[in-house]
Amino acid sequence: MTAALHRPRDLGAVLDLLAGTDDPMVFGGGTAVQILLKQGVLAATDLVDIAAVPGLADLVATPGGLRAGTMVTLRRMETDPLVHDRAPLLAQVYGRVANPRVRNTASVGGNIAHGDYRLDPPTALLVLDARVELSSAAGVRHVPIREFFTGFQETAVGRGELVTALDVPTQPRGGAAFSKLSSLAANDWPVASAAVLVTAADDVTREIRIGLGALAPTPVYVAVTVAATGSDDDAVDAALAAVEPLIDPLPDVRGGVGHKRRLGRVAVADAVRAAWTDTPRDIPREPREEASDDHRLPFRRLRRRR
Amino acid sequence: MSTEITLLVNGERRAVPVDDDDLLLDVLRGLGHTSVREGCGVGACGACTVLADGHSVSSCLARAVRYDGAALTTADGLPADDDVVEEFVAARAMQCGYCIPGFVLMTHELLAENPDAGEAEIDAHLEGNICRCGTYLEIRTACVNAARRRREAAHTEKESA
Ligand SMILES: Cc1cc2nc3c(=O)[nH]c(=O)nc-3n(C[C@H](O)[C@H](O)[C@H](O)COP(=O)(O)OP(=O)(O)OC[C@H]3O[C@@H](n4cnc5c(N)ncnc54)[C@H](O)[C@@H]3O)c2cc1C
Ligand code: FES
Ligand code: FES
Repeated sequence: MTAALHRPRDLGAVLDLLAGTDDPMVFGGGTAVQILLKQGVLAATDLVDIAAVPGLADLVATPGGLRAGTMVTLRRMETDPLVHDRAPLLAQVYGRVANPRVRNTASVGGNIAHGDYRLDPPTALLVLDARVELSSAAGVRHVPIREFFTGFQETAVGRGELVTALDVPTQPRGGAAFSKLSSLAANDWPVASAAVLVTAADDVTREIRIGLGALAPTPVYVAVTVAATGSDDDAVDAALAAVEPLIDPLPDVRGGVGHKRRLGRVAVADAVRAAWTDTPRDIPREPREEASDDHRLPFRRLRRRR
Repeated sequence: MSTEITLLVNGERRAVPVDDDDLLLDVLRGLGHTSVREGCGVGACGACTVLADGHSVSSCLARAVRYDGAALTTADGLPADDDVVEEFVAARAMQCGYCIPGFVLMTHELLAENPDAGEAEIDAHLEGNICRCGTYLEIRTACVNAARRRREAAHTEKESA
């Protein structure tokens, strides 16, 4: 059975199709959907191609960071000056996905909605505390990326919902790094990946934020604090202790549990060491953007309480 | 459902009837552009690469209806004196040649974006193309030489302007 292809021209029509057809599936960049179709494992009755909907491919600056419409391509996130300026870690990580052809086609929304535990972009979105906008016939809601990956191949996207945008706060000052290790080919899916951001928790403490890919049934986030006077070894030790209980690899053709656990530790150690070394001794206390920034609020509150 | 789409293939306007699930790969081959080849069929090898409005795409994962109105470049449509092709030939960068159209188009995309690309940028951009004959070193040499030639041409143009 071939699924019917719909090519609606406005958002309302998309949401009506998602609400009103038997077993709809959004067709974003289509790089994952086409493969599932070829493998004959897709049960959808209706494919809803969202490429013709105006506005979904907008990438714009916001007071607190940037906003990427769901159809912005991974390649644009990798190359656009706005992303380089506001969230260089994010640009770096998008640039490490698959190959340029897939990145030219795949969309930021389809990427996270795909929900695969090995995806690279979630590692950076987690440390940057991005927010996912979901739209449905019932309205709009927002889900923090840290609550988006709910289980193995499962996400917070509900029936009838469309990812419409990602809001990403400006990367806080500090140091950042990404490490991705593959076992079959340089360009293959990772067996372990880690995005790390080091920033000021307060005057004397640094926060190390870690996003892990491929090391558990979902992308995983954890943060740990270390004295600013600590060495890179101190930072690595603290990070490894924090990720240890969270690493829960799935054995497959790319390696067994022991192999992946080991590579996971290497990826975390490499990224933390690089990010720590990249962090200036005195992290300027003021955020880069003076405008109101509600994403950073919880962080500020935390700082005041101390 | 069958619809008629318009493709601008290598500068030539073609009206083509396509079904919703037709792949760009099959449509282009049907039009005689057999330099577009199927390898892996899942986006991982680059044998099926085409440029759509200048951007590389794996045509094995691309639905043709999505490309209505797009300007497509296939390797067989490049001019006889194409700089990248000439450097691939000069470096003897092919054995069977199956993968080469993809590598040539990826090189075109890279050099259009970044004529200053060096080995690191070349490796990063071409890493997702697979050559079963293993002529990678010659391919890299061809790209390095094509980049140099592009830079020299730009320089000469500036001098004479
Ligand atoms: C050869 C190859 C290598 C790869 N290597 C990597 C890698 O190294 N690292 C990595 O991170 N990824 C890798 N990928 C995966 C790639 O990142 C995903 O295929 C891609 O990001 C999916 O995006 P898309 O827009 O094409 O999604 P689609 O194929 O369009 O959709 C994917 C899923 O998301 C749903 N969906 C799409 N858009 C929306 C939306 N707006 N709202 C709700 N649901 C939606 C679809 O229904 C489907 O379930 C690789 C893929 C290929 C083909
Ligand atoms: S055949 Fe399309 S990338 Fe391999
Ligand atoms: S030359 Fe034979 S596959 Fe590359």
